[in-house]
Amino acid sequence: MVLLENDSFLTELTRLFQKCRTSGSVVITLKKYDGRTKPVPRKGHSESFEPADNKCLFRASDGKRKISTVVSTKEVIKFQMAYSNLLRAHMDGLKKKDKKSKSKKTKATQ
Amino acid sequence: MPYYQTWEEFARAAEKLYLTDPMKVRVVLKYRHCDGNLCIKVTDNAVCIQYKTDQAQDVKKVEKLHGKLMRLMVSKETHSGAMETD
Repeated sequence: MVLLENDSFLTELTRLFQKCRTSGSVVITLKKYDGRTKPVPRKGHSESFEPADNKCLFRASDGKRKISTVVSTKEVIKFQMAYSNLLRAHMDGLKKKDKKSKSKKTKATQ
Repeated sequence: MPYYQTWEEFARAAEKLYLTDPMKVRVVLKYRHCDGNLCIKVTDNAVCIQYKTDQAQDVKKVEKLHGKLMRLMVSKETHSGAMETD
């Protein structure tokens, strides 16, 4: 699992999307993160550790390669904009709903 | 593991689930370009809710929900234990 900076994460995520255009899936996971870097102790000394409240963890994978990044309050605005653009740009393989379909020229069933 | 039929219900349930226990909940998004579909799951390892779609209009909704949850996750600073200036 590669931990990256926000910008590198977005670059790599773009690459993941591009790689998976012909086959495979891109899985993105989002979770609140409290900044702990050590496993939770079984019992005994309770946390000599202050949980931070302002971070979240982003993970992405294409089945083979895994990348991740941590986003905190200061970066969230910038990251969210770039991330939204990325999603919208790449998730374009879905059906466009046109109920008022202008398919008058095709299928003119008499 | 219920698949919701409407986006509105899913979004409401997702936010509600997140607010019950922010630390436990994770959001998983799976996109398959070759099949042309998108699946979102929100779970706290006890309750799991999902939504599947193949409609382009849902991408924007998904991305907005992601942004909303992201901001919720980074915003609740009840105690700023990080800054310790004596």
